[in-house]
Amino acid sequence: MSACEGVFAVSCTREQSTGAETLQRERQLNQFLAEIERRALRIAEIAVRDRDEALDLVQEAMIKLARNYAERPGDEWTPLFYRILQNGIRDWHRRQKVRNRVMVWFGRGTSTEDDYDVVAHAPDPAGRSPDQELQTNEAMQHLEASIYDLPARQREAFMLRTFEGLNVAGTAVAMGCSEGSVKTHYSRAVHALRDKLGDHW
Amino acid sequence: MNDPGKNKQSSSQAKELFDDSVEGLDAATLSRLNRSRQLALAELQQRRPFANWARWVPASGLVAAAVVAVMVMRGPALDGPGEFPVTASDFEMLLEENDLEMFEDLEFFSLLDEVDSAMNGNVS
Repeated sequence: MSACEGVFAVSCTREQSTGAETLQRERQLNQFLAEIERRALRIAEIAVRDRDEALDLVQEAMIKLARNYAERPGDEWTPLFYRILQNGIRDWHRRQKVRNRVMVWFGRGTSTEDDYDVVAHAPDPAGRSPDQELQTNEAMQHLEASIYDLPARQREAFMLRTFEGLNVAGTAVAMGCSEGSVKTHYSRAVHALRDKLGDHW
Repeated sequence: MNDPGKNKQSSSQAKELFDDSVEGLDAATLSRLNRSRQLALAELQQRRPFANWARWVPASGLVAAAVVAVMVMRGPALDGPGEFPVTASDFEMLLEENDLEMFEDLEFFSLLDEVDSAMNGNVS
């Protein structure tokens, strides 16, 4: 085998092994996204109160994760994914604020809360009686509205800790703040929700 | 107010409600999530090293074809100096005085050539 053929063979072997690694990574990423996507969607939906917008935000976060962080270890993906998603949600709120200001200036102020039909977005029944279903939906409705009313950082801390089950360190990475701040935001969120929900909680 | 037990209970109740709502997502939403995931994976596929290598194959083919075309067009020049049509011995022959006299009897030499050819059986 000539030197050139040898170099080519080594290069091909390297290509094949890198290709196999990439396929493996692709499978891992697919599995990760499939596991996280539904919870991520609901978290985004509660934060923006619009399912279509939430779907767009989740899609954007998925693509950014694949584009920029696919090579990172799999256990880092969850906080990174939520960091991207939370940044997207914050940007969305900023854009909404500007949009509403402009609309008010033109005399066409709108409230996204009025457009949001919680009942229409309520989950399908899962083997429960209509009474139970109604009760659950009503409780979720109250919970969602109360979470939405929380200050943004408290809302993020609460949803990441409670709904996604991230630990304090993971939540800190996802929120881009210190662990101490996460604890403070989370604690305040829980108290505010309990004050607001009263009987429901 | 800072009862950790109560906090935990409230959180697990909220988590239960949340999980219920996740389970109840409709088919259209799940389909759209699936599409989003495929888009993200396509992004990853574009970064595959083999895909990058394969992307250069058509370009390499074009470059190779261009090189071959140039070689074909410039072929004769690449064959080396070749045979110069006039050699030094030709000049010598022309410069010799005796040979210049040859041009005065061209008809004679032409006849001589024909006779020589006929004798060798090589009539043109």
